Amino acid sequence: MKRKRTRLSDISQKPDEQLLEITAEDLVPLPYPYDKLDTKTPIRPLTEEQKNTYESSLDGVSVVGIPKPKSKEEEDRLVKSFLSGLKKLLSKEDNWTFWQQLMLTLESCVRCQTCNEACPIYLASGEQEIYRPTYRSEVLRRIKKKYLDKGGKFLAKFTGNDVELNWPTIARLAELAYRCTMCRRCAMWCPLGSDNGLITHELRKLFSQEMGIAAKELHELGTVQQLKVGASTGITPKAFKNMIQFMEDEIEEKTGKKIKMPVDKEGADILLIHNSGEFLSWMENPEAFAIIFEAAGVSWTLSSEIAGYEATNYGVWYDDVQLARIALKQSEVARKLKVKKVVVGECGHAHKALTVIADRVLTDEANIHRESCLPLLEDLVCNDKLKLDPKKNDFPVTLHDPCNIVRLMGIVEPQRRILRKICPQFREMEPHGVENYCCGGGSGFAIMPSMNFPDWRASVAGRMKLKQILEVFQDVSSPEIKKYMCAPCSNCKGQLRDLFSYYNVWEKSGILYGGLVELIVNAMVDIKEPFIRWEWR
Amino acid sequence: MGGIAFGIFYGSIAFCVIASIVRMVRYANAPLHLRWELYRGSSVYELSDWWTKTHIGFKDKLKSVVLDILSLREYYHRNRGFWYVLYIFHIGLYLLVLWHIWLFVGAVTIDIEAAPLWGLVWGGVASGLVFIGGAGILIKRITDEKLKVYYPRIHYFKWAFILITLAGAFYSVQFFFGASMPAVMEYVKSQLSFELEHKLHPPLVPALHVLFLSPWLIYLPLGHIMQLFFRYYHELRWDHVPNLRGSDIERRVKKLLSQPVTWSASHIQSGKRWSEVAQGLPEDTTGKE
Repeated sequence: MKRKRTRLSDISQKPDEQLLEITAEDLVPLPYPYDKLDTKTPIRPLTEEQKNTYESSLDGVSVVGIPKPKSKEEEDRLVKSFLSGLKKLLSKEDNWTFWQQLMLTLESCVRCQTCNEACPIYLASGEQEIYRPTYRSEVLRRIKKKYLDKGGKFLAKFTGNDVELNWPTIARLAELAYRCTMCRRCAMWCPLGSDNGLITHELRKLFSQEMGIAAKELHELGTVQQLKVGASTGITPKAFKNMIQFMEDEIEEKTGKKIKMPVDKEGADILLIHNSGEFLSWMENPEAFAIIFEAAGVSWTLSSEIAGYEATNYGVWYDDVQLARIALKQSEVARKLKVKKVVVGECGHAHKALTVIADRVLTDEANIHRESCLPLLEDLVCNDKLKLDPKKNDFPVTLHDPCNIVRLMGIVEPQRRILRKICPQFREMEPHGVENYCCGGGSGFAIMPSMNFPDWRASVAGRMKLKQILEVFQDVSSPEIKKYMCAPCSNCKGQLRDLFSYYNVWEKSGILYGGLVELIVNAMVDIKEPFIRWEWR
Repeated sequence: MGGIAFGIFYGSIAFCVIASIVRMVRYANAPLHLRWELYRGSSVYELSDWWTKTHIGFKDKLKSVVLDILSLREYYHRNRGFWYVLYIFHIGLYLLVLWHIWLFVGAVTIDIEAAPLWGLVWGGVASGLVFIGGAGILIKRITDEKLKVYYPRIHYFKWAFILITLAGAFYSVQFFFGASMPAVMEYVKSQLSFELEHKLHPPLVPALHVLFLSPWLIYLPLGHIMQLFFRYYHELRWDHVPNLRGSDIERRVKKLLSQPVTWSASHIQSGKRWSEVAQGLPEDTTGKE
């Protein structure tokens, strides 16, 4: 039975009813071996206690964990606070950081819905109205028109603007701001330059900077922890140094090479900065960087200072002030070490945050040079500065394009030139490059295990990516044939890990995910044992 | 009646000019923003030491702008069904704007009695394309489920009004001016003179057309066309100019960082300057607000 389409005004009504409940039938079909309809409920319902405690009336999912207001007075205070934040968003003095882009987006949309086809979440969900990329933008636009523009309430009667600004609207908008990965594929599609991903960003910012509402993993356990402890993973400088020791031992065990990973070496050419998630979950990635840099004679160092061993900057996803604080800390570390430049490891959002976005925050000595690791790796591989044997990588390989590195920075080719040189069976997914699909873990989703959100992330947000990964390997679909999904981004790997686990991809299809440098080391002539271990982790 | 038409028409021209300038000044004075670009392909960041390399130049930008405007290429690639009618409408509109410019310039520079017949063909074809495209857009907007989504009701009237305006123009030229180019130009010339007689007591048919045109002159600076300036000339899609030490951008960034932060959440430290706030978290921040 066809579901009744959700209207814009529904967001303000029936606070105790969910606007959407996703079923298996709604979801876009997957190819073999997932081509038989899975009838199990894709998203586990929240427990009764969770439902009673947290707002979840958008789609039955809670990731922000917004407590339900206890009184009408509290609701009114929150509504007032939202409106105050919205006024600030629209003020060029208060919101100079993104005012221009926001005004362009609010004023230029012609409702042609061209962007709809670009959104992996909207498509994967079976085109559910609330996930339409223009839905949250249109709600915001109508609230602005009705409650902030002159004569707005009067005009609303004639224009049919029946969105009400009340607590249900705000609670649902807060969750809705976490149903978009900010991959900005929709912005790429928009002929007018309207950016619905930016609306997500600005909404999250309003909630965080004005109302103190943000996903715990981004704020309390993310940027706050990073600024206080040193890393969003909670790794302290002391623990980091122990991990370095562990990695040096592991490199020797795996390769027979005795490598001293330089830490806090003053005057090195490069400060290499990794997403600290690598040290916890994928140590082979920083190990591979160390092996490559040592083999090529690169002058480099790591840092054990607070924020110096953590490339992430979750501020980019929800809070401009936190973004600036972290970028400044990272540049301070580089300045103290007197390095020539900072090179960002395989972490997509760190690429964009530190190299590009922070460019308008860093001044004077803080304005150190920053760049991606990919041009350097390309130089080492493609100019034969390493001895490599492509036959060692003779298995099917495909490449995931992290949105932040590719569409949002224009680093498209270096990683491809590397793979073409060292992987004889490299193949492209469709679409790829700047038109890629997000992995589904963007904008912090990959590090959010809150309540039933991981189910939503795997079954909806990551579905289009999974579909194209399965499609590219259809000719070698047997799990006996081992295949490699190269994702040069820590958060993308986190998402792929959870996505593949949810669908048992390793067992059913034999696809392993990993970074780019691991493939380079795997092809190095003087590394006898395969560096890539074909085992699920 | 004539005086009212005179007032509305010339008032709308004045409004169009003033509102356009106000809007452009507003954009031009917008503060520098954080960088948030998108890329159609490879960028300078594919190169080591990218800050020393050549960034996308004015010619590349101009080429992109011209391609976007003349071919509506994003629609062509992403929404072909809608592109057909949009393209007809826009090409017609560009031709019609050029035709009006030619009319006004020609009225004072060429021998009106020898005004060429192709001028009439030009105007007719342009109006026809705008009419066909406009009608197509209106039909698509009414019949296509996707194009109806969130489309403000008032815009349906906008398209109908365009068609009425064009029909009025057609009637004026074909029947009132007898499809005579010299007659049209003579009328335009009279509008360019300071002689009030023609303006206060204008012939009804062209006066009605001019009256219908006035709302468009008021709409123009408020509509989407102005966004082009915003999008292309304020470095939203491309902003490759790095913030180098001692540069003008750095000077502007410093100025912005000296402004107070006004947001209210407890981790922000409202009231302090950006440069102070960015130094770190307030002592008592736990992340729980």
